[in-house]
Amino acid sequence: MELTINELKNIRFFESYSDKQLQTILAISSIKHFKVKEILFEQYDELHEVYILLSGCLSMGISIAGEKRIHLGTLEEGELFSWSAVFRPYISTAWVMATCPTRVLAIDSEKLNQTFQNDCEFGFKTMTKIAQTISHRLSDTRFQLMNQLII
Amino acid sequence: MRYYITTKSEWDKKLDQLLLSHTIFATVSNDLGLDFEFLRPADIDNIKYNCPRPVTSLKTFFLPPRENVTADRDSDSPRIIIGAPNCDIEGLSLLDEIYLDRDFKDMFFNWRRKNTIIVATDCFSYRDNCHCVSYGIKPFTTRIADMSVSQLNGTMIFRCITDKGEAFIKTVINAQLLEDKNFVESVENNNTEVEKTLTEKNKGLPDYARSGKLLESAGKNIWKKYSSDCVSCGSCTTICPTCSCFLLIDKPGFEKVKQMDTCQYPGFERVAGGEDALYELSERFRNRYMCKYVWKPKKYRSTACTGCGRCIDSCLGKINKNELIMELVK
Amino acid sequence: MFDNNNIYKPIKARLTDVITESPLIKTFVLAPEHEFSFETGQFIELSVDGIGEAPFTPSSSPLITDMLEVTVMKTGYVTEYMHNLKSDVNMGIRGPYGRGYPVEVFEGKEILILGGGCGLAPIRSLLYKLESMKDKLEKVTLCYGSKTPEDCIYKPLFKRLNNIEKFEAFRTVDKPDEGWTESVGVVTTLLNRVRININKSIAIVCGPPVMMKFGTIRLLEMGFTDNQIYLSMEKNMSCGLGKCGHCMMGEFFVCKDGPVFTYGEIKHNPEIWK
Repeated sequence: MELTINELKNIRFFESYSDKQLQTILAISSIKHFKVKEILFEQYDELHEVYILLSGCLSMGISIAGEKRIHLGTLEEGELFSWSAVFRPYISTAWVMATCPTRVLAIDSEKLNQTFQNDCEFGFKTMTKIAQTISHRLSDTRFQLMNQLII
Repeated sequence: MRYYITTKSEWDKKLDQLLLSHTIFATVSNDLGLDFEFLRPADIDNIKYNCPRPVTSLKTFFLPPRENVTADRDSDSPRIIIGAPNCDIEGLSLLDEIYLDRDFKDMFFNWRRKNTIIVATDCFSYRDNCHCVSYGIKPFTTRIADMSVSQLNGTMIFRCITDKGEAFIKTVINAQLLEDKNFVESVENNNTEVEKTLTEKNKGLPDYARSGKLLESAGKNIWKKYSSDCVSCGSCTTICPTCSCFLLIDKPGFEKVKQMDTCQYPGFERVAGGEDALYELSERFRNRYMCKYVWKPKKYRSTACTGCGRCIDSCLGKINKNELIMELVK
Repeated sequence: MFDNNNIYKPIKARLTDVITESPLIKTFVLAPEHEFSFETGQFIELSVDGIGEAPFTPSSSPLITDMLEVTVMKTGYVTEYMHNLKSDVNMGIRGPYGRGYPVEVFEGKEILILGGGCGLAPIRSLLYKLESMKDKLEKVTLCYGSKTPEDCIYKPLFKRLNNIEKFEAFRTVDKPDEGWTESVGVVTTLLNRVRININKSIAIVCGPPVMMKFGTIRLLEMGFTDNQIYLSMEKNMSCGLGKCGHCMMGEFFVCKDGPVFTYGEIKHNPEIWK
């Protein structure tokens, strides 16, 4: 099922994008579906796509000794994840698993990077948004850490 | 300002009579130096007038160290307090702002204020750490108290301040209006002289109106340095004429006892969850300065220091707040 | 000459019920000896006879004047005594004190509420008020975080809110259990999903200090201005009258000038996050 520009506009991440820029995103994206317990990617996987959660539920975490999964939290609808796909060495820092039937927008990160070369304004805007996402993740992790330390 | 006079012997006789209907506290010399004491007839002649500030501040008469604030008020006899210096009187004006504020009036404080005639005294001399003039406060009283008394040899001179004070002077003491302009002038000149000497003595002190900004922007080091000799005893705040924080203690029968408290004691700001903004000694130490020079001036009319110098005299660690502020000025 | 209005004297209130909300949190249902009204966000001083007094913001509706609910977390000496109380004893209440939420300012706006732990108590009272004026509001979104599902208080509240027109409520926990199907993570993660017209919004934050700090910073980052963010400050309010000094936060008496402040009013003050 194809996604429309109007649907993209409803996602927080794309709030400030022009129709032309959203068209560009659509051209390098696809929609992917995941079943319950399906792993989207593992920690240390090489990533080629940046994702945005459209609907469903995703759990994110890290692995200890390659075996034991530690759940760090859930992802919220409209949230961007798999940002490692945009930065060298493109290796994921966490795993993500579907905990109910889930629909995500998958953006080809190599093509995204190429688009940045051609449209700097689009590139700057997108990288700023990704930086914000990572900054939120960092701040939330510190918040979580302080909660643990206070107990 | 209107002045009245009477003779010392007449005044002493009046006090003796007043003791039948009033509770009187007056400044007398004791083992501690000069202090307010409950006046007995035998002590009337020992009252010291025109001496710089007594050991205890005037606030104690309005904010006792401990009182049951849910009990019915006793029908106390009216009170007269004699010998309060102007630093204490100015301190009381801040307490009035806090305790008689229009939203929540403390009825115990209010009652004591109404039930008391405050007889201030002009300071003819000063103590080592007296520095009221640095705050623009004069060593003689012209407001808030009901009247002021001075002794010149065998003559008592009264300055009227409030209507209540003037009525007391006229009808109770039966003093005579002082119409001799030269005499009035000599009294006022004497006060100005004391003020000048005190100003000269304190000329090295900073401009306290500007101190708030300096303290606000002061780094941690100065607080650490000066608090290193602080033992959190709370004597500086207990003896201060403007410090008035308290604690409510619950007693059976939903009674509440109000007890004077101080931000210098550990745990003053601790909340139930355990967080304590003033956990560190240097933070508690800083709190007192910030409260006096930054926060209170923002909330009320003036700084919460009247330059009485008691906190310097009483400090076990010999910490001098003026030295701290001088260091910041440098 | 003598003013008989004693500001220190509590009125009596019969404890009619005690509701266990979580292992550490109970709600006390009180029937004051005479009508008692408050504005949402104001607080009261609640006392256990002979033991002590502590400040709480009522969690019940400000529209009800013959009954009062206070939700109390067991954190110290007085609250521990409270948790051991059985119904039918008398408690003491003084108040209401301070400045609550300026709900008239909220009219025509979208309201985003960020709550954590026992901070949901004042928020519940606010939600009752907002529900009563929902025709004048655009939208109300509640994001709430607790440590575990067990620690999440007022469980039926969320279902109810999600059935009220214009209201939505999301929950998250730090540590989920087997049956938990909602979000996991700190409360700020929920903001990722919130769609809101920030120019026409206000935000309210109430919870433990750490959460207030992270929550406020995230709201600012989302584009809220300083004066669009309302914080309910927690301090050691003792007299409630702006006198005893225990709740001073810079030049403010939290008990009288607060407990609700906009971030803009207090941000210059380094003491606020202590």
